[in-house]
Formats: sequence, structure tokens, C-alpha cells
Amino acid sequence: MVKKVKRYFRLYKVLISQFFKVILQSKVDFLMGLLGFFLTQVMGIAFLYLVFEQIPSLQGWTLDQLIFIYGFAQIPRGIDHLLTDNIWMVAWRLVINGDFDRYMLRPMNIFFQVIAEKLQPDALGELLIGAILVVISLGKGIVIVDAGRILLFVVSVLAGALIYTSIKLFFASLAFWVKISGPFLQVAYEMANFAKYPTEIYAKAIRFIITWVIPFAFVAYLPASFFLKQEVSAAVIGIEYMIAVVFWCIAYAVFNHGTKVYESAGN
Amino acid sequence: MKLREEKIVIEVSHITKEFVSPKKYPGLKGAIKGLFSNEKVSKKAVDDISFTIEAGEIVGYIGSNGAGKSTTIKMMTGILNPTEGRCMVNGINPCKQRKENARNIGVVFGQRTQLWWDLPLSESFTILKEIYDVSDEDYKERMVFLNNVLELQDFFDRPVRTLSLGQRMRADLGAALLHNPKVLYLDEPTIGLDLVVKDNIRKAIKEINEKYQTTVILTTHDIGDIEELCSRIIIIDQGKKIYDGSLEALKDTYGTKRKVSMEVKKPEKVEHLNLAERLGVTAQECSMEVDKEQKVLTVTFDKHKLQVPQIMNAVMELTEVQDVKIQETELAEIVKQIYNHGFTGQEA
Amino acid sequence: MKKKLRIYLPFASNELKRQMAYKGAFYLFIFISLFGSFIQYFLWMAIYGSAENSVLGGLTREEMVVYIFMVYVTGSVVMISISDWVSDDVVKGTVAMNLIKPIDYRMSLISRAMGQVVYRFLVPGVFIWIGLEIYKVTVLGLSVTGVTNVLLYLASCIMSFFIYVLFDFCFGMVAFFTTYIFGMLMAKEALLSFLTGQLIPLSFFPEVVQKVFDYLPFSSMVYTPVMIYLGKYSDAQLCFVLARQAAWVVILYVLGSLIWKQVTKRLVVLGG
Repeated sequence: MVKKVKRYFRLYKVLISQFFKVILQSKVDFLMGLLGFFLTQVMGIAFLYLVFEQIPSLQGWTLDQLIFIYGFAQIPRGIDHLLTDNIWMVAWRLVINGDFDRYMLRPMNIFFQVIAEKLQPDALGELLIGAILVVISLGKGIVIVDAGRILLFVVSVLAGALIYTSIKLFFASLAFWVKISGPFLQVAYEMANFAKYPTEIYAKAIRFIITWVIPFAFVAYLPASFFLKQEVSAAVIGIEYMIAVVFWCIAYAVFNHGTKVYESAGN
Repeated sequence: MKLREEKIVIEVSHITKEFVSPKKYPGLKGAIKGLFSNEKVSKKAVDDISFTIEAGEIVGYIGSNGAGKSTTIKMMTGILNPTEGRCMVNGINPCKQRKENARNIGVVFGQRTQLWWDLPLSESFTILKEIYDVSDEDYKERMVFLNNVLELQDFFDRPVRTLSLGQRMRADLGAALLHNPKVLYLDEPTIGLDLVVKDNIRKAIKEINEKYQTTVILTTHDIGDIEELCSRIIIIDQGKKIYDGSLEALKDTYGTKRKVSMEVKKPEKVEHLNLAERLGVTAQECSMEVDKEQKVLTVTFDKHKLQVPQIMNAVMELTEVQDVKIQETELAEIVKQIYNHGFTGQEA
Repeated sequence: MKKKLRIYLPFASNELKRQMAYKGAFYLFIFISLFGSFIQYFLWMAIYGSAENSVLGGLTREEMVVYIFMVYVTGSVVMISISDWVSDDVVKGTVAMNLIKPIDYRMSLISRAMGQVVYRFLVPGVFIWIGLEIYKVTVLGLSVTGVTNVLLYLASCIMSFFIYVLFDFCFGMVAFFTTYIFGMLMAKEALLSFLTGQLIPLSFFPEVVQKVFDYLPFSSMVYTPVMIYLGKYSDAQLCFVLARQAAWVVILYVLGSLIWKQVTKRLVVLGG
């Protein structure tokens, strides 16, 4: 078992170091990717500024608080994006054109092979802006800082990243049945954008969906509010953690089943 | 002597693969119609195929496009799950124990590489060494051998995407062999290659087979591959096995057809001649074609039923024959015939 | 003309067929993409709920509802990202092949985009549009949008389409100078969603910024037709914005031709 884990680690290191070499050969591309994601996030902040020109607060939330929520949301998103971006390829390309074959032919865990094939440096754009916004919010003194919360911050970010990965994996796995699941994944993934705002602004049904069905609320808004408001219970992080585990199990089971019904290409 | 069972490497029994897809209608109107219909079409890509392959065999698996060759290979490698039936490779069910099976096999798909596109070939090999857990000594030994037969050193440091098709194929073959697999699957290994490279690849496959007793299953459209490599061939058509046996046996049964070409003075005179009826045989046993421009009359006939002089006499009654050429049917022709008409020779 | 049609029509109809081939993906996609618009709707309703004024950025709450959904319909129909295809072609190296064929590369892309327009207009565009009108009358208590406005809107949309694809063609040419256009596409989308008014009506921007927008083609892509649909322009303004759209079509067409000439020269030199 230990030997097996060691082997996976060694392989991951080899693959990723190869990948870095490729990135270093194309610095311009790397910077452009970074810029793309950075800009996307900046636009989101600009949107908030423009809206708050018109209103003093949004259902009791101030602009500063919303900016923290926004920034906090970028960190788990960025981590997942950095590590598991190749899942998108499963949804769009690998299944329909049969390139998924190669994972099936190697004596290693398939999911591992999928994610080990690529690191997405563009994600650093998201991580960067997330970190900047969180630091600004800390400077403004609107975030509660204590030992427990620092620990839970780490737990929450990791659980959040796992929720992202699970949602991506689940929707990408649909490709095994419908050949191209990119559109589904795209839409599901984009729903994360809406959980960057306080969920109480939505109608009940929608709030339910982004909290429990595609649980992005537990990645962004809900844990972020725990760091902003004394009265929010730490249980919210516990639930986030449980959701992460449950969703991961579901997504991984669907993925595994998908590889069994995989039809390859050429028919 | 070993027991026969021990030598069996691959056992495919009654394997069937059915693909279900939404019904497609032709044209733009059809596309709209398709949106609202829920009709399904199911197609048996592989239909109840069985065979066994013994250690060290090189088996040619042939059939026309869409006959189900790749589908069978994919089931044997564990990529696809069979709808029905079962296959065992080295006593392992590839679908149930994918990883264990993967250690025992090497696969090359001629149409797509399994190497890392942007990385130098050497790095691809480093990664594969880790994936297959090849020890340092084994790795060194393998590389010496692979360099010998495939001459990988010429382009070992170049990114895979910059390799020529022939180099890439050698690289892919090397990569598939790095972990010394017991079974090697080759799907169209010589497709698109020029004659010299084809020859090299074939030699390499032969050497590997001889040195390591690697069992090789290859699909191909290239009759040259089969003639040079395969002691045994399996032909499938529309998902069904239609022939399984040695190449010689196939040539014997099907090689009964012979062709005679005659250059005649007045082709229009023989144009309406019913040769088969005249010689008292069936149309299948004797057929003819007239090329008016070249003034050539070609007769294909069963060598057990007719003799060349008989045919020439019949023709010469009508017009003058200036030149005669007699050909035995080549393997390529045999296979073409089988694809076109199904295998009817077996009953004869 | 007829001959041209015969050459380029297959590009359009193939694209349409290609899109329709993925049926299963398709229904859910409609459903979820609608869902996304509803979330945006709630966000804006909350904003109106928190505001002291009933009119924000020149739009009433009801008009904002129309704005959100019409922006969605317009954007999805008009903004066909042909630069994705350009970058695909560059990566696969098929652009050079296109140069050999006696067809205009830009025309073939635009024809293909038209195929997508038809598809996107049929699903989900037109359904959301009709749904919106029904909602307007039954829930919001507004009257149905007038025929004149609808016709003007459609005319404006046609120009929007050309402005967008012609612009995007120019943008796609970047693909010849980089091996990785994805980051650029992201940046483009982020900027466009802002500059075209998809994210927030342009009237929310400070006066100075709006002045700048007047000199850029982006407001003509989505914002203009939707504001026409809402009947926000006087006759004089209407003539002006439509003329401005037409001007952008011409300018971007010429610009695209110039860039293409440069790129093909480079292609010939490099043999790419």
C-alpha cells in the first residue's frame, strides 16, 4: 500500500515537472492565461462597485463584505482549477474522439491519470485575486480572526476545492453516456458565479439548488459568512466538509461506472 | 511437453458488442426531426465471435472498414466491456481487472499516439517506466534491445509532435514494449507508412516475437503485413467471424480462381458471348469482362473446372487472339472477394 | 451571387446539423441555461429591493426584467465566437488548406456562424423571447412589444451579428501569433460581457465612461438592439444608433480584410 502511494507520488512528480518545462517554454501563453482569468474576476468586482453606486447595501451586506465573499470564493475555485483542469477535456474531447483509450490501457488509477496529465497555471490568476481580496478585507478589519477560524479556513478551502472537483467530475462523466458533456459542465460550473452573492436574495427553490443540489453555496457564500459574522456557527464548515465527502463519493462512483460503459470512438 | 491449456494466452468466447445510438435522419430536415424523435438504432459491431490464441502466435485480424476489428481489440484490451460473452487474457478478464491486464499487454493504435505530444520522447519513456514500474536494470536492458530493432536513439530527444509518422510509429511500438508485455496488440501498425519504414516495422515485430515469444495480434489492411508476419489469420465481416485458419489454407481454397487475359482483334465480336453457358459451367465458375478500348478480354474461372485451352478455343472461334496472359489470384484479390461477397469458398 | 450561396450555404447547414446531432446534451442545456438567467433575475430583483429609487440606471424594475432576458436572447444569438474556430484551425494547421481552396476563409467562417445563429435562435432564443412576452403581459402588466420595435430590433440584431463576427475575426487573427489563445479568449469574454452591457446595462456606468463607450463597437453588439427593443430611443437617436451600427459593420469589414492580408502574407512566408 505504502509502496503504491509512493509510486503514485513519484509519477505525479515526474509528470508535473515535465509540465513545468512545457510552461517555461511558453511564458507569453502563460501570462495571457493568467491575465484572462484575472480580468474575469476584476470585472466581477467592477460589477459590484457599479451596483453599489445605486444601493447602500444588498439585503444587509455591505460592499466590503461582498468583496470578501467574492475573494474567498476564488481560493477553492483556484485550487481545484490548478490541479484538476484536465477533467474538462474528458467532457469536451477525450471521450468523443476516443483518446480516453490511453488511460484505460495503463495499469494505474484512471482518475489519477486524468488529473496528473495537466496543471493549469491560469488558475494562479484566480488564486492571486482571491488572496489580494482576502488580504484587503483583513486590512479593513471586517474579518474575524482567531485560532479556530484560521484552522477552519484551511479546512474550508480544501473541502471547497473538493466540492468543485466533484461537481466537475460528475458532469464530465456524463460524457460516457452523451459523448460530449461540455455544455452541462460549463453551465454547472458557471453556476458557481451566482453563489458568490448572498443566497438569501434568491427564491427558495433556487436557494435550495445552489445549496444542496449543486452545492456551490457551501464553497463560497456560506463559509465566507462564518468568517464575517460572529453569530454564524462553525457547523457550516462541518456541513461543507460532509458535503465534500458525499459529493466526491457520488461523482467518483459515476465516473467509475462511466469508464465501464465507455464506448471509445469509431462507431 | 506442456499441456495445451497452458499455452493458450487469449480465449475469446461468444463475444458480442452492441452499440445503441439515436436514429439519424439524412439532411437538414432530418436533423430537426431527429431532435424530437426517440428512435434508437442498435448495431452489433461484433457478433458472437470466439477464438483462442496461443503463446507466441502472430495472428492477423482482418476485415473491411467497420467490420468490427478495432472493437474486438478494444474488448481484449479492456477499453470496452462486451455486451455478451467473455474474453480472458493470460487468465485475466480485462474488463474486471483492468489494471492487472494492462501490465501484461502492449497496445499500439496506428491512428493515434499514446505518447505525450509536447514532451521529448525520452521523457515519455521516463514516465512510462514509472507507470509500469519497470526496474532500472530491466529498463536499461529493454532500451538496448529497442534501440537495436527500432533505432529510437535517432530522435530520442525530440518532442513527439515533431516526429515523422514513421518515427512516431517506431516510438509508439517501443513505448508499448517497454514493460515486456506478454501480448502485443497492433491496430493498423503500418498505416500511412512508406515501404521502407513498413519493412522495418515488420522486421521489428518479427524480432520481438522471436526473442520474447510475445504473442501478437494485429489488424491491418495491408496484405503485405499479413503475408510477411502472420502464420494465422482471422477474417471478420459485419461483426461475424468468417474465416479462421492458416494463410496457406485460405490461399488453397480461394486460390482456385484463375485469370486469363487475352488481347483480341475484334472485341465487339466476343462482347455478347456467354462463355459459362457455352462451356457448360455456372456463371460463378466462369465470368468475363471485355475492355473494348484496350481490346482485352479477361476471363476469371475455377481452375478445377476449366482449362485455359478450352476457353481460348471458344474465344478463337469468334475472333483472333493476339496475346495471352495467365495469372494466379493473389491474396489481396482473395481478401477483396471475401469482403465483397462473404466467404463462400469454405463450402466448396 | 447564386454561386456564392451554393459555396457557402453548406458551411451554414453543416454547422446547424452538427449542433443538432447532440440531442441529449441539448434539452438539458436549454433548461440549465434558462436557469442561469433566472438567477440573474433574482440578483437584480434583490438590488431593486435594496434601492431607494424605483429607477436604476434609467431602467424600472420591469424594464430590467425585459433587459436581462433580452440580453440573454440577443447575446446567445448574435455573439457567435468564430475566433474559437480560427484558433482550432490554426492549431490543426488547416488554415493553409483553406487558402488553397477557392473560398474566402472569412466568408466560410461567417456562414458557419450563421448556421449557429439559426440554431440558437430556434432553441432556446425564440422560446425565451415568447415566454418573456407572455410574462410581461400577464405578470408585469406591460403591453406586448410593438411590431415596429420588434422589426427594428431584428434589423439591429442582424447588424449586431456582423459587428460581432467581423470583430471576432480580427480578434481571432491573434491566434496566428500565439500558440495558446485560450487566455485571450477568456480575457475577451470578460471584457465583452462588461463592455457590451451583458453584465450590467451601460447606463449604470459613469457619464465619462459612457462617452468612451460611444466610440467603441461593443455597445452596438448587444446593448443597442436591446435598448431599441425596450423603446428607449427617440426617433433621432434611433437613426443615429442604427447608422452607427452600419458604420461599424463597414469599418470592421475593412479592418478585417487588411489584417487578413497581412496574416496571409506572413503565412506564405512562413509556409504555415
